[in-house]
Amino acid sequence: MSRRAIARRELDSLSREKTIVLAILIQVVIAGFSSVLVADDVVAAAGEVENLRARRFEDRATARDAFDRGRVDAVVHAEARDGRVAVSASVPRSSLRKTVIVVQLRAALTELERAERADRADHLAFDPLPVPPRSDASPYFGFSYVLVVPLLVFLPVFISGAVVVDSLTEEIERGTIELLRVAPVSLAGIVEGKAGLLAALAPLQVLLWVVLLALNDIAVDNVALLVALTAAMAVLAVAAAAALALALPVRQRAQLTYSLGMLTAFAAAAALPEHPATTVALLAIGSATRVTLVHVAGYVVAAVLAAVALRRHVARISPERYG
Amino acid sequence: MRPRTVLRIARWETTKGVGGLDRGAVAVVLAAAAFVVAFGVVGLVGGVALEDGIYRVGVDEDSPFHDPVAVDDALAVVEPDPAVVDEGLRPGEGYDLYVESGPERTRLYLVRRDGEPTDKSLAALAAFRESVEAYNERRMRSEDNETAAFPVVVTVEFVERGTDGGADDGGGGPDSDGTGGGGGEGGGGDGQDDDGGLPSTGGGDGGGFGAPSIGAFDLFGTAGTSGSPSAIAPPFPFQSLVLAFLFVLPLNFVIQAYGSSMLSERLDRRGELLLVAPVTPAEIVAGKTLPYAATSLAIAATVVAGLWLIGAGAGPLSVLAVVPLSLLFLALTFLGAMFARSFKELTFVSVTVSTALTTYAFVPAIFTATSPVAFVSPLTVAVRDLTGAGVTPGQFLFATGPPTLVAGVCFLFGLGVYREEDLFTQRPVHLKALDALAGRIRRPRSLALVVALLVPFVFVAELVAVALLFALPVALSIPLVLATVAVIEELAKALPVYAGFVNGRYERTAGVGAAAGAAAGVGFFLAEKLSLLVQVVGLPDVAVADAAFQTGLGSNSLAAVAVLAVAPLLLHVATATVSALGASRDRTAFAASLSLATLLHLVYNLAVVSRLV
Repeated sequence: MSRRAIARRELDSLSREKTIVLAILIQVVIAGFSSVLVADDVVAAAGEVENLRARRFEDRATARDAFDRGRVDAVVHAEARDGRVAVSASVPRSSLRKTVIVVQLRAALTELERAERADRADHLAFDPLPVPPRSDASPYFGFSYVLVVPLLVFLPVFISGAVVVDSLTEEIERGTIELLRVAPVSLAGIVEGKAGLLAALAPLQVLLWVVLLALNDIAVDNVALLVALTAAMAVLAVAAAAALALALPVRQRAQLTYSLGMLTAFAAAAALPEHPATTVALLAIGSATRVTLVHVAGYVVAAVLAAVALRRHVARISPERYG
Repeated sequence: MRPRTVLRIARWETTKGVGGLDRGAVAVVLAAAAFVVAFGVVGLVGGVALEDGIYRVGVDEDSPFHDPVAVDDALAVVEPDPAVVDEGLRPGEGYDLYVESGPERTRLYLVRRDGEPTDKSLAALAAFRESVEAYNERRMRSEDNETAAFPVVVTVEFVERGTDGGADDGGGGPDSDGTGGGGGEGGGGDGQDDDGGLPSTGGGDGGGFGAPSIGAFDLFGTAGTSGSPSAIAPPFPFQSLVLAFLFVLPLNFVIQAYGSSMLSERLDRRGELLLVAPVTPAEIVAGKTLPYAATSLAIAATVVAGLWLIGAGAGPLSVLAVVPLSLLFLALTFLGAMFARSFKELTFVSVTVSTALTTYAFVPAIFTATSPVAFVSPLTVAVRDLTGAGVTPGQFLFATGPPTLVAGVCFLFGLGVYREEDLFTQRPVHLKALDALAGRIRRPRSLALVVALLVPFVFVAELVAVALLFALPVALSIPLVLATVAVIEELAKALPVYAGFVNGRYERTAGVGAAAGAAAGVGFFLAEKLSLLVQVVGLPDVAVADAAFQTGLGSNSLAAVAVLAVAPLLLHVATATVSALGASRDRTAFAASLSLATLLHLVYNLAVVSRLV
């Protein structure tokens, strides 16, 4: 009962601080703008590929002249040498469009190579595999699932932990934890009430983003598993945050250690067979394998263990320490 | 401001400030940062397989297409079950693409829903195509007859336009005497000794023949490449992403420590001690900010030195470009710490500041290659410096001036509330914000100054709006930009007036309202002439930008330019007076009159732009 009272008080103070709207708004912008940006990139990319126009010059000097005047973007010279076609291409060094230019040249020259190879097929031991047809798929289809969805899962998780650090260090630094303790609540009750509420908020936000993404024509698969994964991650994050805040009850240090720790943990997770971001992407795009499911189960187990460990740890802390 | 006092406060901040960092904490920070940077570099260069197995391809082990699928990270091999494709492939069967290899021909099945292939299936096909191409390439490399396997040899060279001949100063690439521009027909002995085995790299240092990624650290693509067509690597296109990662990420940690320190001054009246000491608030703030500004400068310098060591053309210009960005981070965090009532509120504010400023730095820089809009972000200057493209003084000023001004103004407003009655009281954020504005108002005339101070904000906000919207079709982007501009400008003029009335600086009469509104309008008009800076980088060539800033120089008519010089003055005075009249009454009247003013502004904008564009 008392735990629920603490959670309700925490929710109350969160909703009074209207700045939480800012944090939520930022995530809405990520969810909304990502699709706009992606769409524009597609248009740009498609436009660029078909924009290669060839001009023939009599000799290299005139071609180079046109290049220097900026009339052509690249000069290509081809000659037969030792049974090969030797192509040399000059691309402007300082032009920042050089990436686009090189990509276009490469596409054209690959076609040339394919044709030349077919002519010499008799001399090859391996017959190149036929290349599947070009599809008009968006080259950024995977982007939404590989980057945007993981971002929208991990941002709420991160913020939840950060708020737990704030909430606990503030009670301790201001000395208001003393007041809470005269109420019939144990220190464990206070910590669990605060951490529990914020762990519950993260999956709720993810549910909201799934709906928003669906409105943006990005269908998210395995929603239930995704929410379970977020909940497990959030429990891990808030448990770590709570333990940290109790160990280092100064906001500056606790907060800095928390965010660096999260970053380190995220980088270190690369050592897992499947990075958490990949797990999220595979669930969201609907390509989850047994390995993915094992990872989700692992996180849930780890979350339960972390919650139990936190409870035991807090029970052993003497509340007098923060008096 | 006395330098010695500032330095002394800075020393306190680093050594014994509340919750200052001790040596152990610094060691932890450095270790974690080194770890993350190491992983980041490995991830960026080695390509962490985030997209591990996102497309499932059903392909038989005996199929020639099995190997290409098996080695591709994005594709996962699934044991094929011929029964599923009897009547076409349907969703939910566990495949995104199905390859059925026969002796004669190979059939590909896409997942179809209602007769149409799904987006995911099409994306899987595109990934499959790429992986087959890469596979062919690898097989060809083990052929004995290299001439037949690689019939085309390409040498790409990055040369300076306008410099005669191939004299390209040390940028690698093959040793060229004829490739660039020599006149002779076969004059191009370009260092490519063909009978010597593989058509591998020329003499240059950047040749990537092998993995289709660029040579280890040539992130900025200044070296030439050569090899078969598929092996020539485009220069890495996401410099701004790497830079955002390297430059902006550390700033987030700096502002976290800074925000905590500033806010903790406000807990339990701790800041009282400094306030009663014989130092001015400006000295306190400068002293407490100095260590964090120095840290962010040191980080930027370290990053640039690191990039320089691995061969990018980075120099002091890159560091200079990042300075306004770090000042902006610090200034907004300072303001946030002054307004926030609790640690939680500060966290929300700093998350918002981080995300908004990262977007501001990153999104315009994406267009570095294609549009002058990129110069909205100071990061673009760093990108150009690193790619060796250089910037003109005008472009540098344009990219770094407005953010520096905004940072300065934020510090100024924050100082306005660095006093006892604001530091130690719990007032809602919006009232504190009004306090900060009103802090600078003493008489009606000073209103013009406050509004003028807001113009850099307006300028940056409008630039960001242009950068975010310019990629949309003009028919959509121009009205959207005009509406955004109207809202931003009217808010900038009306809020200080409202603050003046709320804080009792003015009498609540219509006459005072009209006078205040007129002052605000004039102040805004004068400061707005700053926007002529957009000329420097040729932004008016972008139709949207011309619509937003209405320099009128997009048109050739002298009359239009003349009208555009006077008309805005009338407009700003008129709309500011409308909203000021509302502000002199109460909140509801203010909201209504502000909406009316915005609408007037929008109508004016539409009328002017439809004449000119």
